[in-house]
Amino acid sequence: MNTGNDTLHPAVREARLAGRLDELKAALAAATPPARLEDSLVSAFRVQAGRQRRAARPLLWWMPALAMVATLAIASWMVRNPAVQPAAGPAFEFFTVPAAGNDPGPFMALKPLDRIALEPQATVVATEFPREMLAQWGLPVAPERVGEPVRAEMLFSAEGEPLAIRILD
Amino acid sequence: MPPWNMQPELTLFARMRQGDEEAFVELYRRYKDAVYRFALLRTGSAAQAADVTQETFLHLMTRPEQYDPARGCVAAWLCGVARNLARRETRSREDAMDPDDLAEGAPGLTELVVADGPAERLLASETAEQVRAALAAIAPHYRDVLILCELSDLSYAEAAQVCGIDIGTVRSRLSRGRAQLADRLSGLGLMQGPGRAKEAS
Repeated sequence: MNTGNDTLHPAVREARLAGRLDELKAALAAATPPARLEDSLVSAFRVQAGRQRRAARPLLWWMPALAMVATLAIASWMVRNPAVQPAAGPAFEFFTVPAAGNDPGPFMALKPLDRIALEPQATVVATEFPREMLAQWGLPVAPERVGEPVRAEMLFSAEGEPLAIRILD
Repeated sequence: MPPWNMQPELTLFARMRQGDEEAFVELYRRYKDAVYRFALLRTGSAAQAADVTQETFLHLMTRPEQYDPARGCVAAWLCGVARNLARRETRSREDAMDPDDLAEGAPGLTELVVADGPAERLLASETAEQVRAALAAIAPHYRDVLILCELSDLSYAEAAQVCGIDIGTVRSRLSRGRAQLADRLSGLGLMQGPGRAKEAS
């Protein structure tokens, strides 16, 4: 293609080309994406971020909440339906589990021991409940600590069924 | 391009990955114009450029792990994403061409590229619009490098990252692209008159 461009000195040709590119660049400075784009992208980001948050939750996030509800339900049931206890003898059965470090004490069985022994993947979950419930179960409670919550651990089956409870303090 | 402190944008990027909406908005506002202008020049259509921009930032939010800070800045990565999106419709034609065959004067090339070029008026300035149309009519491989290096202020290394080629190829394509563009502008009578200030001085 003979354009007459060849007659220009290379330096002049380069400078004029650069000048035209500068003009284009200056005109492009006015070109911006539609404002609605930001709104739709922010909406999409919120959906995406919500999805990520849900995916990032630990698998057993519901266990502490379930432990609390189960504890309260069991305690309420025990208050309303007090077991007929023999005059002498324990109200509950107790058992221990092998612990690597300090043993915090035995578990109080809420299910028959042989049923608990057959549970392959029991999970221990920390929980808290009002100390006055101990008294309702017939356990000793220091009067000055009635207002304090009780720290405890609950043993759950793989299906989420409460198997035993252990009072920590 | 002067040395660039990437830490602020990397911090924003990390916050965005953790679901921080403000960080995403900041990244969008920082790079939207560069991506849109690249897409505008690449597609020749305001509507398509908006679509490409939207898809590019959707890619940013859904596939952030694809960004590798060791390979360049966020702007270069986003331009690369935008380029791939803009190429979708013309991929078969562009991939069928060997860049060496795209040299100026290749038979049939001008008609092919011009026939595919945009007719939409995008810029207010008449001269700038003519330059844009001339740029849109040159071979795609040269056009990309020209847009990135001359109009998007990316370094040769970043343009190489965007196009997936080495820096030497960027230089040669830039040289050929400038020559093609100069020829087209000359044909339009746009190589007369003053250039940059240094010529005038």
